Amino acid sequence: MKIVIVGAGEVGFHIASRLALEHKDVVVVDTNAEALRRVQEGLDVQAIQGCGSSPAILEEIGLRGADILLAVTDSDETNLVACLFASLLSPTTIKLARIRGADYLQYEDALRNEPYRIDVIINPEAEAVKAVERLLKVPGAVDVGEFADGRIKLIGVRLDPDSPVAGTKLVDLHKKTGEKKILIAAIVRNERLIVPSGKDELFEGDIVYFVSEENELKAALKIFGKKAEPLKRVLLVGGGNLGLKLARALEGLSVHTKLIEKEPERCRELAQLLDKVVVLHGDGSDQGLLQEENIRDMNVVATLTGDEETNVLTSLLAKRMGAQKTVTRISRFSYFPLVSAIGLDHVVSSRLAAINTILQYVRRGKVLSAMTLKGEEAEVLEAVALETSDIVGKPIRKIPFPKGALVIAIIRQEEVIIPTGESVIQPKDQIVILSTRQGIPQVEKALMVKLEYF
Amino acid sequence: MRVSYTLHLVGILTFFLGLTMIFPLLFGLYYQDHSVGPLLKSMLVTLASGLALYLLFKGRGTQNELMTHREGMGVVAIGWTAAGLFGALPYYWGGLFPDFSNAFFESVSGFTTTGASVLTQLEGIPRGLLFWRSLTHWLGGMGIIVLSLAILPLLGIGGMQLYKAEVPGPVPDKLKPRIKDTAMVLWKVYLLFSAAETLLLMLGGVDLFEALCHTFGTMATGGFSTRNASIGAYESPYVDTVIIVFMFFAGINFALHYQFLKGHPLAFWRDPECRFFVGVVALFCLTVTVNIYGEIYETMGEALRFGGFQVMSIITTTGYATADYEMWPSLSQNILLFCMFLGASAGSTGGGMKCMRIMLLLKHSYKQLFSLIHPHAVTQVKLGGRAISDEVLHSIWGYFMLYLGLFILCSFLLAAMGVDVVTSFAAVAATIGNIGPGLGMVGPTDNYAHIPVLGKWLLILCMLLGRLEIYTVVILFVPEFWRK
Repeated sequence: MKIVIVGAGEVGFHIASRLALEHKDVVVVDTNAEALRRVQEGLDVQAIQGCGSSPAILEEIGLRGADILLAVTDSDETNLVACLFASLLSPTTIKLARIRGADYLQYEDALRNEPYRIDVIINPEAEAVKAVERLLKVPGAVDVGEFADGRIKLIGVRLDPDSPVAGTKLVDLHKKTGEKKILIAAIVRNERLIVPSGKDELFEGDIVYFVSEENELKAALKIFGKKAEPLKRVLLVGGGNLGLKLARALEGLSVHTKLIEKEPERCRELAQLLDKVVVLHGDGSDQGLLQEENIRDMNVVATLTGDEETNVLTSLLAKRMGAQKTVTRISRFSYFPLVSAIGLDHVVSSRLAAINTILQYVRRGKVLSAMTLKGEEAEVLEAVALETSDIVGKPIRKIPFPKGALVIAIIRQEEVIIPTGESVIQPKDQIVILSTRQGIPQVEKALMVKLEYF
Repeated sequence: MRVSYTLHLVGILTFFLGLTMIFPLLFGLYYQDHSVGPLLKSMLVTLASGLALYLLFKGRGTQNELMTHREGMGVVAIGWTAAGLFGALPYYWGGLFPDFSNAFFESVSGFTTTGASVLTQLEGIPRGLLFWRSLTHWLGGMGIIVLSLAILPLLGIGGMQLYKAEVPGPVPDKLKPRIKDTAMVLWKVYLLFSAAETLLLMLGGVDLFEALCHTFGTMATGGFSTRNASIGAYESPYVDTVIIVFMFFAGINFALHYQFLKGHPLAFWRDPECRFFVGVVALFCLTVTVNIYGEIYETMGEALRFGGFQVMSIITTTGYATADYEMWPSLSQNILLFCMFLGASAGSTGGGMKCMRIMLLLKHSYKQLFSLIHPHAVTQVKLGGRAISDEVLHSIWGYFMLYLGLFILCSFLLAAMGVDVVTSFAAVAATIGNIGPGLGMVGPTDNYAHIPVLGKWLLILCMLLGRLEIYTVVILFVPEFWRK
């Protein structure tokens, strides 16, 4: 599979690195020699200097033979023009564009049609807002993924020292949970991801990923010692695009929300745009202001300014002053390994959200949605089991999946099955698979239709 | 630099090298000669050593870790030295030389495609060993690392670092998105040309064994022959022509061959370096032909045949000979000497400084003159319509200075060992440029056997410097490289 990526910024770089590890043919185009050098030295991809919106360059890099074009530069205009020429030069290539400008997004439907014919429009901020929303809806979780239209959730929780299941082996887990079956999909311990077997033990400090149906979520969280307190009060710091969007979403959920913004002009604007949200003018790192606004009673403090260093420090400050949970906006990927070490609960990154969305479309087979677990070491895919693929009609333990891959749920029409080794996948079932990064190509292969049926 | 990680990878390369010894072994078995024992022993020792290195240094963190620039250079430089050492075993155990120094010289000369020999008598040597000698050329020509990248999945990560350190030229091209595919494409083109040449030589009446050996010598621009008189032994205008044509092909950037085969017939013409190379070759061939016509050769045809062969052989740094150019007029000798420095194209299997570098240096020098006349002019050095960054130009100037500096230093050292002026000068030029025959006591009819032992080690270093384009080898001697 050949993939052309226009733009070698953070988004382009990270998508390229993921795809290159999966042995796909990746060509990256950018005008910036410095960014390209990083791509060329670090990744096994072809890096070409030039403007990605130039038809001559697109032709030169062999767009005609490419399966997918990802236009992910920071400039909406470049992305649009790249897609326009791609649609003229190579109509069969699937086009994904990262578009941030609200003006353009109003015409999303028009962009999907002639002459652009962009297959997928990714608005990173909207994706990030969705990610935060998901998190806020499940209190106590550090990571939340939704599958089968939200009916199944993959929840990551950090085990507290007083958690009832800390120190339990997985085979003994059912003794504590009673009737309910819980499937532990993955454990993240010391920044390393483990796809567990029955012999593995749970320790405090682990991030445990488990699968749960929507309606059993509360009970499941209780097993891990997490109280499902409903979300009532939220404080947002930073009233940029992301802050505004999140505030709007929270308004919809009727959560009591406060928003702190530094610029008086922007405050007025926000006050105009928002109805129930309390807009405050001031500095988010001002202790006095935070105290004044009862930071101690906040369920969540989200720091969303454009300056990530400020966000990190403000979140730590809020935590120190008694906020129950923090969400921090970080755009630089090199800070991610620090997150849990310095005690931040959640990180939101519009870039990471965009990457996740893009990857989900790049996957072969009938992949419906995808999510990346903490540390990018594993991915979870949701797919339809095709009649002719290798996975149907036999017990799961006989499926030739690589080490580190696990079927974590089967959805058969209305029924949700948490599988065991003996479960059999039937054609047209939706399945959710977790796999470490190394195993992804093999999983994709298993999901694909066998060749002789073509 | 993580030394253990580097040695772990060198282990893989060594093991791989051991596997390639199966080919000469097959020839040895076929001809039932005395090479079977030594080859088998060498193969087992190489395989065992490779495996030992691989297992010994297989620590944590050897997988999925990014290879740094430094480690890439380290693997290539140490890997090539190891290849030279293990490649020398068959000669040593085969009893060709009394001491290891000579065997090592012959082996490094093979891998670096220099073609400088310390063997005085080729005819009578077991054929298995002769085949190994030529095979080292072929492996070294396109590059051991490039071949491993194409075949071994283990080197995928950080492959670009290895590729950059081994492939000649200031800015290596990546023909395909993935390094494995790029390496594969290069080897396929290489294989295709080699097959064609072998076939053509066999049509001229050369037997399979000799056709293969000479193909390896030509396509890799090496120069080892199976005959004492080199290609001259055939006394056949047909064989001469085939070799001339394929030396010429081998001296052109393989990326262009690939584009040509993909259906872009104008690829050669569009490439400025290729035009320059062709122009220089044509000019020198013509000058030498006119220069030797009437003085050495009676007919124009003969003058062209021998003049063309010698020029092509030296400029592509192959080093085959059909005539003793030391008897030629001094203009011709001078041209050949200059050819030793110029070398072939970047991305070819040839050595020397490479046409592209010389072109860019000339352009840059002209730019300096131009800005003296127009002090306010904003100019860029361009090649084929693309601007060349200052960084690349600086690196080329650095390369040029190091090349000349090392050339001068090594020829002084060789002279200090008692080698005469012309010979010390030419021997260093011919080894650092990976050519083979030089002038004086190392001319086309002589060989390197009489150079003192210490001098041979110096020339071994020169050959490695030339093949790995100076930086990769010199960097090992810079203390900063080893600092944590």
